[in-house]
Amino acid sequence: MNLAIQPVLLPLLTAVALLFWGRPSPGRRTFTAISAGAQLVVAGFLIHLTYTQSPLVMPMGNWAAPYGIVVVVDLLAAIMLGLSSFTALATILYGFFEASPRIEHPLRLPLVQFLVTGINLAFLTGDLFNLFVAFEVMLIASYALLTLEADNWDVKQAFPYLAINLVGSTLFLCGAGFAYRLFGTLNFADIALRARAMSDDPRVTALALLLLVVFGLKAGVFPLYCWLPNSYPILPAPVAGLYSGMLTKVGVYVLLRVLGTVLPHDLAGVHTLLAWLAGATMIFGVLGAISRNFIRGILSYHILSQIGFMVLAIGLFTPFAFAACIFYIIHHIIVKSSLFLVGGTAALLNRTDNLDRMGNLWRQTPLLGLLFLLQALSLAGLPPLSGFWGKYAILVVGLEQREFVLVGLAILASILTLFSMLKIWNAAFWGSSEECEVCVWDWRWLRMSQIVAGMVAVSLAIGLGAEGVFRVANRAAIQVLDQEAYARAVFSVTGKGAPAGP
Amino acid sequence: MMGPQSYIFERLVRVVFFLVNMVALYLLLRGHNWPGGGFIAGLASASSLILLSLALGIAAMPRILRFDPVRLAAAGLLVAALTGAAPLLAGRPFLEHFHTHLHRVPLLGDVHVGTPLLFDLGVYLLVVGIACKLIFVLAQSTQGLRALVAEEERRYSSPLEQPLEETAGPDDGKERTDAD
Amino acid sequence: MQIETALLIGVLFACATYLILQNSFVKILFGFIVLSNAANLLLLSMSGAPDGREAPIAGQGAGPMVDPLPQALILTAIVIGFGVTAYLVVLLYRLFLDQKTTNAAELYADQDTSEHT
Repeated sequence: MNLAIQPVLLPLLTAVALLFWGRPSPGRRTFTAISAGAQLVVAGFLIHLTYTQSPLVMPMGNWAAPYGIVVVVDLLAAIMLGLSSFTALATILYGFFEASPRIEHPLRLPLVQFLVTGINLAFLTGDLFNLFVAFEVMLIASYALLTLEADNWDVKQAFPYLAINLVGSTLFLCGAGFAYRLFGTLNFADIALRARAMSDDPRVTALALLLLVVFGLKAGVFPLYCWLPNSYPILPAPVAGLYSGMLTKVGVYVLLRVLGTVLPHDLAGVHTLLAWLAGATMIFGVLGAISRNFIRGILSYHILSQIGFMVLAIGLFTPFAFAACIFYIIHHIIVKSSLFLVGGTAALLNRTDNLDRMGNLWRQTPLLGLLFLLQALSLAGLPPLSGFWGKYAILVVGLEQREFVLVGLAILASILTLFSMLKIWNAAFWGSSEECEVCVWDWRWLRMSQIVAGMVAVSLAIGLGAEGVFRVANRAAIQVLDQEAYARAVFSVTGKGAPAGP
Repeated sequence: MMGPQSYIFERLVRVVFFLVNMVALYLLLRGHNWPGGGFIAGLASASSLILLSLALGIAAMPRILRFDPVRLAAAGLLVAALTGAAPLLAGRPFLEHFHTHLHRVPLLGDVHVGTPLLFDLGVYLLVVGIACKLIFVLAQSTQGLRALVAEEERRYSSPLEQPLEETAGPDDGKERTDAD
Repeated sequence: MQIETALLIGVLFACATYLILQNSFVKILFGFIVLSNAANLLLLSMSGAPDGREAPIAGQGAGPMVDPLPQALILTAIVIGFGVTAYLVVLLYRLFLDQKTTNAAELYADQDTSEHT
């Protein structure tokens, strides 16, 4: 039971230790890498535990639910923890190979660890207000990282990100207040038990819509995504890899959790609205990607279009759709952050990531080209790569529910994704021009590509072993949707305070 | 660009500094069961330090304090996190706290002590550190001083960046490189 | 009392929205401060004894009890708001140092992100 808090505690203590350590040095880097590796091991063990046994519940301060704050790890949370620690490890190692300790910013690693603390707390938390706290820890760390190594132009782009997220946080706070007034509790399990009886109460729908705005904003759902495409490109490549992988997916995870585990299942209007917003997100995201002419900008817009797929699956709201969404999250986090890392390596080689001034990469560095091609095609959804299976499952659910327009939009978005990925391929990798120098003598690119190769290998394994991954995702989806079992797990843990049970 | 130094203000602040800190200590100790606690005590202490910086000049503060506020905050976070994590070693839940009653302690009589005080101490240090750092950086910057003194600069700033106060302005900003 | 509180929250939210939509950095900053206070007040007004259940306090003394939970939430929210406001102040100050303007419209007048590589 005490293992449940480790994914939060380990990065927190690491961050503090790094703050004391001061200047970057090889020893400090080794320590960070060991800590990140340990976090991955813990997360892997949690996945194993929750897959074979019931969810882990830990009452903080030994105060039992519903009065105390509980930390709950079920299979979905454990999967997300595994993904976050994997992405963190990969991007941290990539950052090590990108720059020598001499020029590394001393605060980057502590802030990354604080960010991971917040992300992991958001996955673990079992009550609405703690989720707010987790979001704030994550957001404050992300504000700081966004402006840490920023120059004048970059800081300008950070301000809209900050402003929109501040409004989102305020709305979340109001949502938590309304939820408390409405249900008399903030504990997920307790809300789930009480809300079921009042699912025809319009106030529950209103609360669901408010929370939809808040989490949709974090996830980057249309029309609340405008903070994302301009702020991500200002990040250094390794941090951008972590952001693109994890931050918006926290929003998607919370949508899954709140709509699946917490709120009643018969809010059909909310689900339909979500599905149509997802359709709009897909199309607008991919159109934005086509309009951009530099790799990080294109990839940032693609995050949105992919978010559309995941949210569409949530909106379709069947157990199979949830499983598809979870599979898609697993696929997307790894593919997207590795693509950002490929973009960073390509920008290092060409000394720019403006497509007009790039080229010759395929001839000089076929390894990088291959890595890009695999991940780009996976993102577009070509079989047998991992992206295909997620999209396939979502489209099957869409067809079953006769949502032909949404399915059509999804296919259109996939084709346009392929188009804009080929744009990068044609300009940066395939295209040849006399002026573009490829700095292969800069030995760093090789080590950076090795990290990406590791991520591509995981991504390929997901694509080729889709059956097994889907089985895990399916079990996670069933667990998320089973409100009674969740409540039973939470209330079975005793502690100080009132006798457990509603 | 230092403000006018007032002798009366300076003398007064030297007295008030200790008074405020005594109130802060009082708030810290009573915080578990009455209004008070680490956060508010930390704010009180931080405001005493800020008063001191107003009286003596912000440039003198690093010399007087002899500690780095960020490290103080980190130490507070460490204390709080370790207090929370300590029960894990005994197989108890995170953040569990324990109390005991001490009888006939010299000078104090019966006292009720518990581990929440340690947690509050961590919060106190964290708040003092962060609040001081915030105000000092802003004050140094507005007075045309370097926001980071040499020791802090070694710790918290990248070797690639220059102090903002020197590079600020649309014309003399650092060159944008294509690669970054 | 409830009506007044509700009206006050509404007025605060309206003021905050108005201020945030202004061009001046200082007004935007004040807007966010008012916004977080409005949210805190809203949280406070949500306290009570939901569905008739009393606050879980052991050994109740005489006199009316106040629901402690929203107060704990507000305290947390205030601390977080304190941190974020401090960050916002520093960010706006840095923007001012960089761009020599405190006008948001001026700052983003030449916004064309596709030029940036």
